[in-house]
Amino acid sequence: MALVVSPPNDRKRVKVYELRNNDWFDRGTGFCTGRIVNDESKVYVESEDQPERLLLETKITKDDGYQKQQDTLIVWTEQSGTDMALSFQEAEGCAAVWEFVSQVQQALMALAGPDDALSDDAMESFSNPLVLPQPEMGNLDEIQQMMRGVVSTPPGRDALSKFIISEDYIQKLARLVEMAEDLESLEDLHHLCNIMKMLILLNDSQIVEQAVNDNVVLGVVGALEYDPDFPNHKANHRRYLQDQSRYKEVVPITDPVIRKKIHSTFRLLYLKDVVLARILDDPTFSVLNSLIFFNQVDIVSYIQSNTGFLRDLFGIINSPESPPKRKKEAVEFVQQCCAIAKSLQPPARATLYSNFIQHGLLRVITYALSSTDASTRVSGTDILVAMIDHDPNLVRAYIFKAIAEKQTPLTDTLIELLLVEVDLGVKAQAADAVKVLLEPSPPPQQPQEARQNGEYLSKLRGTAQSSNQNEAFLHKYYEMSASKLFQPLKDLERKESLNDLSFQEVSLYNHLVEILMFLVRLHLFRSRFFIFTDGLASRIAQLLSCPQKHLKLTALKFFRQCINLQDGWYHEQLCRAHLFGPILNVVYETMPRDNLLNSACLEMFELIKRENIKPLIKHIVDTYREKLEEITYVDTFQALILRYDQMMHHNPEQDASMAEAQDADREVAANGNQRWQGLKEDAAEEAYFNTSDDEDELTPAQPIPQPTLTNGTSPTPKSLVNYPDDDPEDAMDATARLSGSGSPTPSKPKSDTADGPSSPKATAAAAPQVSQSPPERLSEKRRRQEDEDEDALGKLSNPKRRSSTSSAASVSSNSSSQGSNNGVLRRKKGFLERGKEALNGKKIEISFGGKKASSTTGTGGGGNTGDDGGGP
Amino acid sequence: MSDLDKWIAALRACRTIPEASVRELCYKARELLIEEGNVVQVDAPVTICGDIHGQFHDLMELFRVGGDVPDTNYLFMGDFVDRGFYSLESFLLLLCLKVRYPDRITLIRGNHESRQITTVYGFYDECLRKYGSANVWRYCCDVFDYLALGALVLGTSSTLEPSPLEPGSQSNMPPIDDSIEIEIMNSRNEITARFPRSRRRLYDHELTSSSPPNSPSQTQRTSTPSRTPGGGPPGTSATTSAPASPSGGAVLCVHGGLSPLIDSVDKIRLLDRKQEVPHEGAMCDLLWSDPDDIDGWGLSPRGAGFLFGADIVKRFNHMNDLSLIARAHQLVMEGFKEMFDSSIVTVWSAPNYCYRCGNVAAILELGEDLTGGGVVGRSNGDLGRARGKEEVVLREGEVRSGPGRRYRVFEAAPQDSRGMPAKKPVADYFL
Repeated sequence: MALVVSPPNDRKRVKVYELRNNDWFDRGTGFCTGRIVNDESKVYVESEDQPERLLLETKITKDDGYQKQQDTLIVWTEQSGTDMALSFQEAEGCAAVWEFVSQVQQALMALAGPDDALSDDAMESFSNPLVLPQPEMGNLDEIQQMMRGVVSTPPGRDALSKFIISEDYIQKLARLVEMAEDLESLEDLHHLCNIMKMLILLNDSQIVEQAVNDNVVLGVVGALEYDPDFPNHKANHRRYLQDQSRYKEVVPITDPVIRKKIHSTFRLLYLKDVVLARILDDPTFSVLNSLIFFNQVDIVSYIQSNTGFLRDLFGIINSPESPPKRKKEAVEFVQQCCAIAKSLQPPARATLYSNFIQHGLLRVITYALSSTDASTRVSGTDILVAMIDHDPNLVRAYIFKAIAEKQTPLTDTLIELLLVEVDLGVKAQAADAVKVLLEPSPPPQQPQEARQNGEYLSKLRGTAQSSNQNEAFLHKYYEMSASKLFQPLKDLERKESLNDLSFQEVSLYNHLVEILMFLVRLHLFRSRFFIFTDGLASRIAQLLSCPQKHLKLTALKFFRQCINLQDGWYHEQLCRAHLFGPILNVVYETMPRDNLLNSACLEMFELIKRENIKPLIKHIVDTYREKLEEITYVDTFQALILRYDQMMHHNPEQDASMAEAQDADREVAANGNQRWQGLKEDAAEEAYFNTSDDEDELTPAQPIPQPTLTNGTSPTPKSLVNYPDDDPEDAMDATARLSGSGSPTPSKPKSDTADGPSSPKATAAAAPQVSQSPPERLSEKRRRQEDEDEDALGKLSNPKRRSSTSSAASVSSNSSSQGSNNGVLRRKKGFLERGKEALNGKKIEISFGGKKASSTTGTGGGGNTGDDGGGP
Repeated sequence: MSDLDKWIAALRACRTIPEASVRELCYKARELLIEEGNVVQVDAPVTICGDIHGQFHDLMELFRVGGDVPDTNYLFMGDFVDRGFYSLESFLLLLCLKVRYPDRITLIRGNHESRQITTVYGFYDECLRKYGSANVWRYCCDVFDYLALGALVLGTSSTLEPSPLEPGSQSNMPPIDDSIEIEIMNSRNEITARFPRSRRRLYDHELTSSSPPNSPSQTQRTSTPSRTPGGGPPGTSATTSAPASPSGGAVLCVHGGLSPLIDSVDKIRLLDRKQEVPHEGAMCDLLWSDPDDIDGWGLSPRGAGFLFGADIVKRFNHMNDLSLIARAHQLVMEGFKEMFDSSIVTVWSAPNYCYRCGNVAAILELGEDLTGGGVVGRSNGDLGRARGKEEVVLREGEVRSGPGRRYRVFEAAPQDSRGMPAKKPVADYFL
């Protein structure tokens, strides 16, 4: 046979792994090539150290189940039955080899033709047909033993699955449960429980599907009530599942198929969350999740395409006659739909929302937000936030429309809600919603502050074309809504005392200041005018004198934010409004007690000192010198005065060098590299640091700092302090020394991350040869696999939270063949753990490459590290 | 019975309290926590606990083994939530106890006390399932932002007092004396191992074989670990210079570990901790870092925080006049693990982690130095820790004498005392 496939000719650096005892064994690192030898296509890996040694020589056949996982992994099963994996250093290398493999396979497939199926069948009938005895009260122990023997091998599991399904075995077992209960035979019940567990853990989706069917589900969970691990306990799963009142039917769903799916989804969720929570292993977990996911997709698409149903549903809200309870349930129904929609793919979600909106989703929200029932208001904000998360521009467009039609726009409803809401939870959510609506299209740099429930990626999709609309929206906002929103803050001016604030007021001011902080950061130019012309900054300063410490803290953080913007205009305004007086008062009130408020103040002055913000230093020391001098319990304030004195007694030459040093200082701080300043190893250098670094090392014991002469040219006694710690060259040195001693080279990846838009550093360290985390969200759920397991921040960038109402499974992983996929997932998991070990051993190769990889993975898996096992 | 006591009673029975009560509790806790410094000063005697992770029944077992609040003074080093099925009950109970007995229990923040982490690892889902909305989760997360970042235990004793809970079952052991530095007890209050301070080396072989694996076999104190690197096997001389001072020195407790940005305990004060745990920077490192057998600093495979080696720990302890760093954050099968010549210890308090790991848990008891002056009132932090390097007469490289340490090792709560661990299902469904 002739193959017309061009093998990749350059060598790809790769690690070869082999699965031994469920553990990935590292065969070594080498270079991978694909070659066609005597009409056979083979993949070779030559060892890196000994080029003559072959780490791998494998012939590509058409049915070895090659799988490409993530961007840099190829996994397959050798003819001998051994599972193998290649982990490429670079994604391109992997892609090239993968292309070769798939082309070869396609060619083979085409040559092989239709008799493929035949041979498969032949194989099957040849493999041993497993037969278990019909279950009876007497032979349960025997069955359990037989099963236990069989499930240890993959062919055994396959055979068992087939047998169970073809014989309808689950039903036969389920029948025995009540019988055993009648006989009070705990032993048999325990056997039944063990058998059920084993059956479910076969992770065959057909079996799981069968197990939640109407006729057997009670038997199945009934058996699972008698867990031999808890001999003195019996759960009441059956009672729970039998309770029909849990199923709320706002509008009757007539399609029996969909009804069935709804019920079985509920049961699957119950199995996953309750019955099996303790024993679920990874593959079964993903089987459950994908079943749930596909059911939900079907249910939601049924609902959204059923116009009659939607009319009835939204009619409930619109009709004045419907009883409030029914309306509440309708809102909750919509809420649940939106929650499920979060796990759908964007196009499906978009259709859902557009159908909903056509039928009056916004009226539902408006109704819910103005409801007298707090939990309905919660649902309302939930729906709204879900919709905004899905597509903020959509919502903005509707608000525009409302404004054009002279209706109350949603923003006003939201602001209203925020201002008058008594339920603090709803208030918080309304504040969140306002923030998201006002968020400009490119997501903010500081993800951890932006929205704290982890749904950035949905916002990453915010597109450029929408930015005009966005601008217009913001314009409208500042024109119309902002003054209304912040009116309560302005009203503070007339308040003489802040001693009698109610809970609601305190929390309102908190939210308002936080929103303002958010605006200051995001809308630099729009907001600054607004904030100071309206005197809002002074009002916030007023909050510094309220008795509620946490509100003081929020106010303080607002000013810190303004300072940190490095915007001269803000600095000037802060000085002009004499805002540091109240802040120093807070220091005075709290010192020398060491509490949160005090630390926050100190941190702020440290910031001014560190960033050397001259106008502020000048203003502060000019105005408050005496006050500062009295604060001696920390050296921060003395250091500020010192800076001031240096500034005032400078000569141009020094000024230049100082500015230089400080620029470096700032840059370093911005990149987060400053942390490496702690890496002083050399004793001589240490001594040098200690002598010259008095500004940071000031201790109360030596209150007047003695600046060291750092260059002989200084004519004045008050010479400049050199900042060796912050000198980039020193940092480089430290880095170089580090890398020399086998430790990582942090500076480059660091700055890399810092530059990345909204990508948490989280995107996780991963060695180049071990690839990024899987795009599949399935694996993200792995909380098992304990030995190695430690959590990695990487998982957090995942856009969707895991919730029992939304399936964790991603479409991409599900749409590939389910049955085999699960096995592979488990393998992959093990593989990545190996990877992590490798990573531990070779720290020098760690990079923060995760960001790039994650942005290319379609499902937005974010930068999961390989370790999905989760740990402490 | 006050509301607070009612809540405590309900939570002790593993029942949730109404949303409004959670809110009130969280507000009370916030008022209290805002007064605490970033590093809380705690006076010995104190019992230090590691990760709990929502394993409510095991937390109850911990209280049974270690004594109840307020009889025992507790310090929990974070990670109260996630993974286990009762994060909410566990955290709220600890918070109630904090509000009820502010001076008898200290809570510091772990990396799981964060919005982002809890949305992934279960606490968010649990709140949603148990209350139907995320409000309770929000309230709790607000409290997380106020939690202290570390604690400094002062006034420890270098010797061990007999266990106050001891039922007199010491028949197999001689009475405790001043030479004992470490004692390990099981949950039945029986002593399973003892390690004397200076002569430990002589018994090393014997002790490691009779003690649980990974118990302080690495704890031999060498007099000059860094002055004579590679010069002769460490600790071969029995002339260890454990000072005769009865004080056990100060112990810093953090969830994760050290940060390259923090070279003194005082620097921790200068952080504004009221924020979501950032992805980098000092605050992140304190909650995420791990000790490792490396030199200096290394990147952490976790993607946050750093790895740090023995040299870093010893230098930090020396500069800050600390005798020990206690931290949690990593599962250790034996419940605790001392590293780097006993300069740092990992304490892990979630037995059979995730209901499947098969590990045991431990808590660390530090005794009170009774020879010193009067008891100092609770305050926050200890100013001028960094002055240690001037005041302390210890020479460079010399290891501070550690406090007497009693580890109580315990297993998961017996299964019939706890019911089956299960999550609470969703209440109603439409779809």
